[in-house]
Amino acid sequence: MNLASYRKKSPWILHYNAGGCNGCDIEILACLSPKYDIERFGMINTGNPKQSDILLVTGPVTKRSRERLVEIYAQMPEPKVVIACGACASTGGVFRGMYNCEGGIDQYIPVDVYVCGCGTRPEQIIDGVVQALGILETKTKELEESVRLKKETVKEGKQINRRNIADQVKPAMI
Amino acid sequence: MYSLITLLFVVPVFISLLLLVVPKSLAKPLVITTALLLSAVSVYLFINSEGVYYFGVPAYVNDIVAVADIILLIFFGWIAIKRRSWIVGLMSLLQLGGLLYLLNIMPAHHSLQFMADKLSLFMFLLINIISGIIAVYSLRYIDEEHCSPFRKKYFLSTIFWFIAVMNLVVSSDNLEYFFLFFELTTLASFLLIGFRKDEVSVKNSLTALWMNQIGGLAILAAIFFIHHNGYGEATFTNLLANAKAENVLLPLALLSIAALIKGAQMPFSKWLLGAMVAPTPVSALLHSSTMVKIAPFIILRLSPALKDTPVANVIIALTGFVFVAAAIGALSQDNFKRILAHSTIALLALMIMMAAVGTPVTITASLILVLFHGISKSMLFLNAGILEKVFHLKQSSDMDKLGESGPFTSLVITIGFMSLLLPPFGAFIGKWMSIESLGALATDKKILGALIMVAVAGGGAVLSLLYFKVMGLLIARTGENDKIHFEKTGPYYAATTYILLGLLLATVISLPFLLNQYFAPVTGSLTGTALTIATEGWNIYLGTIKLPLVPMLIAFLLLPVTIIAAMFIRFKKVDRAKEYMCGEKVNYSFSSFYFSTDRATPYFATAGILFFVALIIVALI
Amino acid sequence: MNNLWIPIILIILAPLLGGLVYGFERIIKARMQRRIGPPLLQPFYDFLKLADKRKMIVHSAHAFLGIMHFVSLWFALAVLLLGSDLILVIFLHLLSTALLILAAYSTRSIFSHLGANRIAISILAYEPVLIIIAVSIFMLTGSFDATAAFQSEQPLLYKMPLAFIALLLVLPIKLKKSPFDVAEAHQELTGGVELEFSGIFYEAVYTAKWLDYVFCYTLVYLFAGNNILLGAGLIIFTFFYLNALDNSTARVSYKQMLRFSLTVSFSLAFINLLINSLT
Repeated sequence: MNLASYRKKSPWILHYNAGGCNGCDIEILACLSPKYDIERFGMINTGNPKQSDILLVTGPVTKRSRERLVEIYAQMPEPKVVIACGACASTGGVFRGMYNCEGGIDQYIPVDVYVCGCGTRPEQIIDGVVQALGILETKTKELEESVRLKKETVKEGKQINRRNIADQVKPAMI
Repeated sequence: MYSLITLLFVVPVFISLLLLVVPKSLAKPLVITTALLLSAVSVYLFINSEGVYYFGVPAYVNDIVAVADIILLIFFGWIAIKRRSWIVGLMSLLQLGGLLYLLNIMPAHHSLQFMADKLSLFMFLLINIISGIIAVYSLRYIDEEHCSPFRKKYFLSTIFWFIAVMNLVVSSDNLEYFFLFFELTTLASFLLIGFRKDEVSVKNSLTALWMNQIGGLAILAAIFFIHHNGYGEATFTNLLANAKAENVLLPLALLSIAALIKGAQMPFSKWLLGAMVAPTPVSALLHSSTMVKIAPFIILRLSPALKDTPVANVIIALTGFVFVAAAIGALSQDNFKRILAHSTIALLALMIMMAAVGTPVTITASLILVLFHGISKSMLFLNAGILEKVFHLKQSSDMDKLGESGPFTSLVITIGFMSLLLPPFGAFIGKWMSIESLGALATDKKILGALIMVAVAGGGAVLSLLYFKVMGLLIARTGENDKIHFEKTGPYYAATTYILLGLLLATVISLPFLLNQYFAPVTGSLTGTALTIATEGWNIYLGTIKLPLVPMLIAFLLLPVTIIAAMFIRFKKVDRAKEYMCGEKVNYSFSSFYFSTDRATPYFATAGILFFVALIIVALI
Repeated sequence: MNNLWIPIILIILAPLLGGLVYGFERIIKARMQRRIGPPLLQPFYDFLKLADKRKMIVHSAHAFLGIMHFVSLWFALAVLLLGSDLILVIFLHLLSTALLILAAYSTRSIFSHLGANRIAISILAYEPVLIIIAVSIFMLTGSFDATAAFQSEQPLLYKMPLAFIALLLVLPIKLKKSPFDVAEAHQELTGGVELEFSGIFYEAVYTAKWLDYVFCYTLVYLFAGNNILLGAGLIIFTFFYLNALDNSTARVSYKQMLRFSLTVSFSLAFINLLINSLT
């Protein structure tokens, strides 16, 4: 039995707002409502990184939220995919270049699908998630490194200590 | 046989005197050998006993007892003056007056004052083994106490003297003697609770004194009524022989009151809670093995006469209430010893209730609870002492790091709590038998039975909540320290803990055997009807109650073994992740939750008083 | 011997049955909200997906206790289906829940602790009621064995309707359904006790929830005696009742839950006990 084929039948979603304006968040919640009924694909909004497969991030990663973003990403077990939801999360959007923001989430964590729009429409989000499911099926169970964070993870035999992955992100000096 | 029983009375007194004079290096072997000797004698007695041993003492001892009584009461009076406690003084005066009056009206008698039946031998076993272990433990514990060398000797000496008094109390038949020894245990608790001599200790010791003096007063009144009603000499035997006579309820009720006070049932629970300020071996002695067990002992002794009387009904109702109330009270406590104290009160209530119901099955349940509670609680208390002396922990909410700093102690405490809660440990079997037999009771006692069922069910749920709360703290750890290294606590602490652990496991494994060989004869001698224990297929039948063996066995493998294994088991090739805190890096400090039940507790005391009043009224009618 | 095979098959298939019930429940809930809902086999897809995740735990004791929660719950269910002593069953069930509570306490996670506290309180809310129902059954059948209830000629429902109502009132607490789902409360505790489990270790806790369905519906079935049709009717009724209740009510706080359970459900069961003992 190929267990990987069941990944796309039950994708559980974790939604994280990295400092956005809540426009995209409202659209994500709209997906759960009876009109779009995302649960018909078996998707659940879990709100818990340890049991989810898809990380939906909105917002341009403010400097206060980046440690949390990496921490939450580290707590998700592989295989997992990350969707940058909306213009801010993809590139920084209107906040790009501001003193308190990073330009998009791919500075800190590897992103698989970028969904455009300010704010994104529910149809776009669902489309993005469905594309992400295709990627999810091909993923391995190895830990992925991000562009910015190069530090080696602590390995004890085959067991990885994920407790201090986020430690390399320095807290913002504000 | 008689000489061996006398040995149990004389040796501890002798050792107690000896300990006051010998140097410290000699005290250690002396205490250990005596503890071994007493345990061996009590085991031998229990195995080889046949029938009931009556024996008398020369006539002049009667006079000695009378004089000792008077001296003791005068001593209490002196304490009252010294500490300026009017209530102790009042009690002492009342007792003294009552005693002198009784000595005046009662004819001199020279019959048999002591009686050692199966129940007494059962209690010997409990008292000598557990107290022996506690005595050995105190050798180390008292070394770390800040007091003069003489007081250290005095402490050990008091413990042995206490063992002697306890042995006497459970084997005296004459109520006058019983009164003396009862008061002597009161004195012992007064001295031991006040051992640290600080303000709180003194206050609590006085509370313990006057509350127990009420019990003494009740015994004196019972003697008076036995004499007044013309049952002959004031002995347990005569009282039980007249179980069907008119007016017998009043002396029964009075003796029960003495029992309930010694058993710290509400509203008299305060003295036992106050006793927690004393050094830990004392709390262990007073709580687990010995002193409070006088309460179920008296009720067990009286149970043939009490059974199916209105007095028994009130006692059942009272203890049912106390079981719930004490469990609820325990939920609001944070101090580890106080949690233990509350749960002791609750379980004592259950034992007394079972004894008061008085059918063979409930008596067996009561005996099982008495024994297992003794072992488990003394283990818990001794480890509470280790926590205090080695890890400097007193509050249960501070114990959440114990799983990392002291894994062995935390393991032992966890096992102790499990033994009070989980199958197949004796306390579970006892509790379970109580529910089943109360169900049977409810079919013929209807409303009372139903009410008590509710109390036991509710109280049981609250107690399990409490135990799991504490156990949760004990096995808490972070993912960083996944390996465990057992700590060393020193030979005396380790040895006593290992012995108690061994006792606990041995009793669990041999429970089906023990039921047949150990509990059934005691029940038989108490109720007159032997409890039929039959094995049929995979079930053990106790009277009408079925004990399914296979689920029990599997339950044993599943539950306690699981929790113990959880401390040792390590998964390889698995990532370790941080706890989810919404991505925050803050380290939260965890203790435990507790409920604020303080608003309810004053009402509990009031309700307890009402029950006591009801007890007297019912007896008078 | 025919009688012994049915429970054994039921025990072996229990997780499967529970999964189906859960899948069906998700569809029914979706239809009540005018949604299409997931496929019937969705719980099993979840199950297979979780098996494929990278293994990750907080610490070993926590993960192990989670697995043992599942095992001991299955054992409690087996004891019930084989018709053993009801009090023992209730104790075993309590203790299996307690293992989950212990697991949650053993971590340093705020949400786990909160969830465990709330589960402990919900135990306080339903446990006494269940024991009283067991005693009522004892008074009617003269035995604590579940077999006696399964074989009784006259369905227990007719003799103890109040106890059945009390059971219906505590089942939502047991199954963590609204309005009594404070213990799980996904919006505020993100699952409470089950939060720290992941991947294959979460599977144990997830499947244990399916077993709980079978356990609760077996308790409902006890009221039907040997009348299979009535039993099926009761189970279907309870199923729709639970889902309608779950969909139509808002969560109450744990204090309200405790108060409601101890005043209303508890008194109902108790009155029922009194009536049973007096007649």
